[in-house]
Amino acid sequence: MSSTSIGLVLLGAPLMAFFVALVVFRKNHLAAMMTVLLSGAATCASAVFLLATKGGTPAEQASRAWIHAGGTSIEFGILLDGKTLIMGTVVSVITLCVQVYSLSYMSHDPGRGRFFAFLALFEWAMLSFVYSPSLMQTFVFWELVGLSSFFLIGFWYRKPSAIAAAKKAFIMTRIGDVGLFIGLILLFQTAHTLDIQTLNTMSVATGNFDSGRIELITLLLFVGIVGKSAQFPLHTWLPDAMEGPTPVSALLHSATMVAAGVFLFARFHPLFMQAELTLTVVLCVATFTAVLSSTMAMVASDMKRVFAYSSISQLGFMLMGLGAGSLFAGYFHLTTHAIFKALLFLCAGAFIHEYGTNDTVAIGRAGARKLRVITLGLIIGGGALAGFPLLAGFFSKELIIHSLHDKPLFLAGAYLASFMTAYYTFRVIFLVVFPNQDSAVQVEEPPADSHDDHHSSSLPLHAPILLLTVGAIAVGWFGDSIASVLGLVAYHPSLPEMAPAIGVALGGILIAWFDFGRKSAPQTGFISKLAPLHTLFKNGWYLDVIYKKLFVGAAQAVAGLLFGTENHVLDKASDMLGQGTLTIGETTGKAQSGRLPLYIGLAALCFSGAIIALGLEMMR
Amino acid sequence: MSELPILSILLLCPLVAFLVTLVLPESKATAIKAVNAVAGLVTLVLSVIVWAQYDETAGGYQMVEDIPWVADLGIRYTVAVDGVSVVLTLLNAIVFFTGVLSMWTLEKRVKEFFAFMGLLVFGVFGVFISLDIFVFFFFYEVAVLPMYPLIAIWGSTRKEYSAMKLTLFLMVGSALLFPGLIALFVESGGQTWNLVALSEPGTFSEGFQIFVYPLLYVGFGILAGMWPFHSWSPIGHVAAPTAVSMLHAGVLMKLGAFGILRIAIGVLPLGAAYWAPTFAFMATVGIVYGAFVAMRQTDFKYVIGFSSVSHMGIVLLGLNTLGIDGTNGAVFQMFAHGVMTALFFSAVGFIYDQTHDRDIRHFGGLVGQIPVASSFFIVAALCGMGVPGFASFWAELLVFIEALRVFPLLGIAAIAGLIFTAAYILRVLGQAIFGPKNPDWDHLVEPTAWLTLPRIILIAVLLFFGFAPSVMLDMIGSVTGGK
Repeated sequence: MSSTSIGLVLLGAPLMAFFVALVVFRKNHLAAMMTVLLSGAATCASAVFLLATKGGTPAEQASRAWIHAGGTSIEFGILLDGKTLIMGTVVSVITLCVQVYSLSYMSHDPGRGRFFAFLALFEWAMLSFVYSPSLMQTFVFWELVGLSSFFLIGFWYRKPSAIAAAKKAFIMTRIGDVGLFIGLILLFQTAHTLDIQTLNTMSVATGNFDSGRIELITLLLFVGIVGKSAQFPLHTWLPDAMEGPTPVSALLHSATMVAAGVFLFARFHPLFMQAELTLTVVLCVATFTAVLSSTMAMVASDMKRVFAYSSISQLGFMLMGLGAGSLFAGYFHLTTHAIFKALLFLCAGAFIHEYGTNDTVAIGRAGARKLRVITLGLIIGGGALAGFPLLAGFFSKELIIHSLHDKPLFLAGAYLASFMTAYYTFRVIFLVVFPNQDSAVQVEEPPADSHDDHHSSSLPLHAPILLLTVGAIAVGWFGDSIASVLGLVAYHPSLPEMAPAIGVALGGILIAWFDFGRKSAPQTGFISKLAPLHTLFKNGWYLDVIYKKLFVGAAQAVAGLLFGTENHVLDKASDMLGQGTLTIGETTGKAQSGRLPLYIGLAALCFSGAIIALGLEMMR
Repeated sequence: MSELPILSILLLCPLVAFLVTLVLPESKATAIKAVNAVAGLVTLVLSVIVWAQYDETAGGYQMVEDIPWVADLGIRYTVAVDGVSVVLTLLNAIVFFTGVLSMWTLEKRVKEFFAFMGLLVFGVFGVFISLDIFVFFFFYEVAVLPMYPLIAIWGSTRKEYSAMKLTLFLMVGSALLFPGLIALFVESGGQTWNLVALSEPGTFSEGFQIFVYPLLYVGFGILAGMWPFHSWSPIGHVAAPTAVSMLHAGVLMKLGAFGILRIAIGVLPLGAAYWAPTFAFMATVGIVYGAFVAMRQTDFKYVIGFSSVSHMGIVLLGLNTLGIDGTNGAVFQMFAHGVMTALFFSAVGFIYDQTHDRDIRHFGGLVGQIPVASSFFIVAALCGMGVPGFASFWAELLVFIEALRVFPLLGIAAIAGLIFTAAYILRVLGQAIFGPKNPDWDHLVEPTAWLTLPRIILIAVLLFFGFAPSVMLDMIGSVTGGK
């Protein structure tokens, strides 16, 4: 079988499963779930097989014309190169894990068939996005990924908060999409092609593009990335997106979909490397985001929110690596993060499902550490996130920090963010592992309103967690293989180079131990002593409030103004025109009184007037 | 194929349905509906045949039929199709057929309703295939006039007022058009009304073109929902019964855009070039304005009505770019928007028929109560947001590509309009379709298979051209050269 036909299985299976599931899900949930699961397995097998056989070989592309525009054709197809093979495998493996996990997690949800249908839609869109050979296809599926995200966040459609979060996610990312869309069109007009390989080849050779044009285009593409990868200032949708079922958070809003923006950056890395100004903007935004969202994660009491903020921050890390010029550092972190963050969310989901609350303190006090497998997953995943030596995140984060070594300002930001990352991650771990019923900390989150007592079968819940736990330990050691598939050579920092980062991470863990872990710890965190800061972080720096007042308010004011214009000016004008015509008609109508003497009199008057006028004229 | 006058047969189908409907007694309602459904199906099949027979590589006007009509005035019955007419003829057939099926439950004065509807469709077909400007205008009036009784008798919500308003606006449009068209005839030497002959370069001086073009553009533009002369259109949508809303937004508004493309731009290219920036600006205002006003509406149909103003703005913007991609996109958008609004009104009409309520604040969580009927609305909404996978995405893409090149600022404003489009559509979805359910509507029932059919056809069409846009673009491109 050629690799193209395997690619067809890979992309076709989830789409077919979506349609089958959509037709049958209301009658037969199990059939829908099994169809999707089978397709997930087929896709996963194909992706792994392709990676194994094609990894490290030259890129292969199979495509055909989709539409003709601007005097050239836009292609649709599949591109197999290092970047797509790795990302495709990551996406399909994690999707399969999440699907298996959902068998148990969603087993009592009345909408489980629909849930699986939309998981399949997401998988299809995400993989078609990843394997895309042209920016047009990338954009099409970028949008469809956003659409499936909308449906999955709003999965519990009766919950107003879920619908609000879904709307917010869609609109915030669409703001970014407008930038990406304009950038895409400008790129098309500049290069007359949207073929990714051609574009990257063109951008490496000098003189193909005007430098100002490149700055503008890359900046616009970056606007799209900011929206999708939840970077400041468009990051506020991601924490709210946790309203969806937890498997969705694990799959979309941490591991894969939000990484789409970073992937796009990696995809066009050669192009971005030509744009110095854009790179500076990228570094500023990414560093600021990494720090900003870490501060919020330090004080969040909802376990899913902590991990959501950390996703934002880690996406910032990836962009820092890529923006500093190291494709490998960013890409490696993308891969390791996908695994350990999916793991963390699956663990969080298991706790939340078991104890009916999102509050970390409450989960810990309820005895969460008795769930051994899940607690182990939390510790390993958390360790990887914190950059604990020899776990997955450690290696990739080291590389990112190394890539920033000649940019002291951004390096400082990176150290600050990793310190906070270690601190907030171990805060969660210590609160779960060493619960203290008597500590000062309060439970803040209300218990879930619809907690059912169905405790799910453990095998589908545990298997993915165990698999990902192994991944979070092991993947870090595969840096060289990943680099070779990408066609790069991995850099191995020496121990002295790594020492500061290790120190920062261990320092963060130590302070977390002091605040939350040790026996008489207050478990409130040092931030709570600085009340104003605590309030600021807790409220997400008030950005949501500001946006709501400023932008939503402005849009509504304009809508109100135009609504008023429509009803009171434009519509009124035409009504008055109509009314005026009627009035004129009535007035002139009155002249038609039907009184004969008046008519004759008037006629005589006019006639005599005319004769007089004529006479006067002749006398002259 | 030159023997069989397929275009005339296509044109006569709705006329025959009209005549048969007149002959049948009012009591035989089902027979009347069946006759019209069959006529709709036949026109649908015929327009697919026309599509298949049209030679895209040869391009130009094909399947020409030419018979003198009023010889002294040079008026001839000349019909033919090019790629654009092929597309719009198919659109008209789709909306006619699905419209008849959507009105299957109509009980009030069935005979007259379908008679007027047949007449309207007959006029629309005539416009799309006429090459003689006088005949074109004749059919144009035939298509527009039945709207008054259709709304005033079968409508709802201030129906007489809306019908009158609509008629007056359209009459103003015609009043601008008629002198404009006569000026074309007189200035060209008073010999011919033939479009091809009049489109010869050098027929009209630049000064004449600049003077007459706005008459034609605004005259047709009023029917196309051109800002700021659009206010008749949402009100008309709201008042009209389902099938009439479908025809009105789905097809009738396209007559205006088609007139602009065929006659105003086709015959007066220099005038078009002179006025393009002005009218492109007004089109962009329409896009953004329509979206903002839709954000504040509370009636389902008003929201869709203003979304039509916004979406037709994209058509007009595309036409005013005067470029290949822009024109392709505009025609594609005419088609996509026609099918999409037909689906929108069909979905809303189904809900209204049961509830007699269209205030979105009175609904909530409909998707839990009537999932199938709500899904139709959701699909139309996605298409309205320009989500890829549906036809309108490609149409908008092409318009934006060209607009960014020709009018960069307007292009950016139009693309930014996508955000507000998403905002007003998600608002309706979040309020009425999703959210906590309103127990008042627990009794609503799902559409029967028969009523599902028209909606499924519309969705299939949207998806087909969403995934195979080149089928459409090759056809349109045979006119514009954008292959």
